[in-house]
Amino acid sequence: MTTKKHETGKVLLEVKDLAQHFGGLKAVDQVNLVIHEGEIVSVIGPNGAGKTTFFNVLTGVYPGSRGEILFQGSEIRGLNSHEIVHRGVARTFQNIRLFANMTSLENVMVGRHSRTSQFLLGPLLRTQAFKAEEKDVEHQAKELLEFVGLKSLGNELAKNLPYGAQRKLEIARALASEPKLLILDEPTAGMNPTESIDLVTLVRKVRDRGVTVLLIEHQMRVVMDISDRVFVFDYGVKIAEGKPKEVVANARVIEAYLGKEGA
Amino acid sequence: MNKILHYRWTPWILLALAAAFPFVAGAMEANYLVRVGGVIGLFMLLGLGLNFTLGYAGLFDLGFIAFYAIGAYTTAIAMRAGVPGAVALILSVIVSLAIRALLGLTILRLRGDYLAVVTMGFGEIARLTINNLDDLTNGPKGMQIAPWRPLSFLSADPNIQYYLMILAAVFVSCVASRRLEDSRVGRAWIAIREDEIAARLSGIPVREYKLLAFTLSAAFAGLAGGLFAQWEQFVTPESFVFWESILVVSIVVLGGMGSIAGVLVGALVLVGFPPIMQWTMSADWINYRYLFFGLILVLVTLFRPQGILPSSRREAELTS
Repeated sequence: MTTKKHETGKVLLEVKDLAQHFGGLKAVDQVNLVIHEGEIVSVIGPNGAGKTTFFNVLTGVYPGSRGEILFQGSEIRGLNSHEIVHRGVARTFQNIRLFANMTSLENVMVGRHSRTSQFLLGPLLRTQAFKAEEKDVEHQAKELLEFVGLKSLGNELAKNLPYGAQRKLEIARALASEPKLLILDEPTAGMNPTESIDLVTLVRKVRDRGVTVLLIEHQMRVVMDISDRVFVFDYGVKIAEGKPKEVVANARVIEAYLGKEGA
Repeated sequence: MNKILHYRWTPWILLALAAAFPFVAGAMEANYLVRVGGVIGLFMLLGLGLNFTLGYAGLFDLGFIAFYAIGAYTTAIAMRAGVPGAVALILSVIVSLAIRALLGLTILRLRGDYLAVVTMGFGEIARLTINNLDDLTNGPKGMQIAPWRPLSFLSADPNIQYYLMILAAVFVSCVASRRLEDSRVGRAWIAIREDEIAARLSGIPVREYKLLAFTLSAAFAGLAGGLFAQWEQFVTPESFVFWESILVVSIVVLGGMGSIAGVLVGALVLVGFPPIMQWTMSADWINYRYLFFGLILVLVTLFRPQGILPSSRREAELTS
């Protein structure tokens, strides 16, 4: 399966001199990068390289210590996470974080929160507007479940789903907020090769919906297969970027992974 | 069991039975049971209220009875100032909501055990304040209130009147709880309870929604307190001790956190059991009520840790 050629012109996300320090530890430092609309971009790097911390700053979990994060041209660093979601950035987690005791469908419906508005009076009085919005939310949630291939599991509690399905459900929930940028933190972690291929297909489908994808990935086969571009992190700093083939040939990258002897 | 619970007429049948109960009991000269029924109803209201904080949003509150007290004293003070009974009840709800919102703004950054300890502290502070604010509350001597009997056309017995008013309040509260639970707002609360970080990163303003659940709880407690004051025609700080807060938490946990039917059953069992024991057996048995209370809690914890009637998620039609 070859990747369709996509319009990758407009800048979606621009990160300038971003840093996140914890006391003396520079978990993320001097990161500059640009992501264009329609790209699938991977972030790779050894354990502890600051990849997840970087994602956490992007999504408002950490405030960041310095620098700018421009999303569609406006600063989002320091905003609350829910505001960042509203702007169009959604994510999944390295350790799956579903709402365990809600059904799959409800998990996705929760994801619609930032795109819906009914508050106390609507639900209490069961107004027409409330009913219309509920119906709409349910409809779109079902559509997303179908999109990720979980339609028949809609009424299952999230905690009862098999592992691979939980990963997909997290993606469906994130997509429910209609993101322009979807951030996936190790989506294939713990998956066998078949499940990984399945997920790669899904990520491509997501991109074909017009969603830009940024992911952390450890399985090099997946990275080579899926990425338009790759960023390499080491010790909190971006040490390389480029097309997958360029990056794996880069001496600094090989050094980061294998040590100096390897180069 | 689930089938019976979800049968569409079940709530209406239960409502009709509950409404008929005091008249039957009255005819059988068991007026005492009507009083017990009223008290159970008040604790159902308290349980339904706490269910927002504890059941939906997952925040522990060990001082909830303070808002029952605030409701009772607001009604008492207002009615002594000549405010009509119905208006006094509305004032109780408003004052409880306002104080609860202020409390929530200051303490909701705390979580888990810390929140439980601070709310417990608030419960005690509220009681001690009422106890010592003689000018406003008449201190430990309590306050007498003139009777308000709006349902005299239905029955001459004030117990039956208040039983019916409380029943109506419980019913409305159940409907309101159900409607909020099954909406965008309720889903947001439950999501916060399940995983706060995931909720935030799914676009939910967590702080605001916690504050909302925490605050709304007080409306039910305030209303219950107001009804309690009018029914008793007397309020005293002794009615609002720490034990009562524990009882309300037990009702929610035993019944099933986040489950409306569970809260109702929890109140029925925990509040109804001691007086019914006393009524059916000899008066001596009442001395053992805490033993039975403990026994019930242990048995439920062992055999049904999720509660007697745990909340079940709504099933959606998937073939469309």
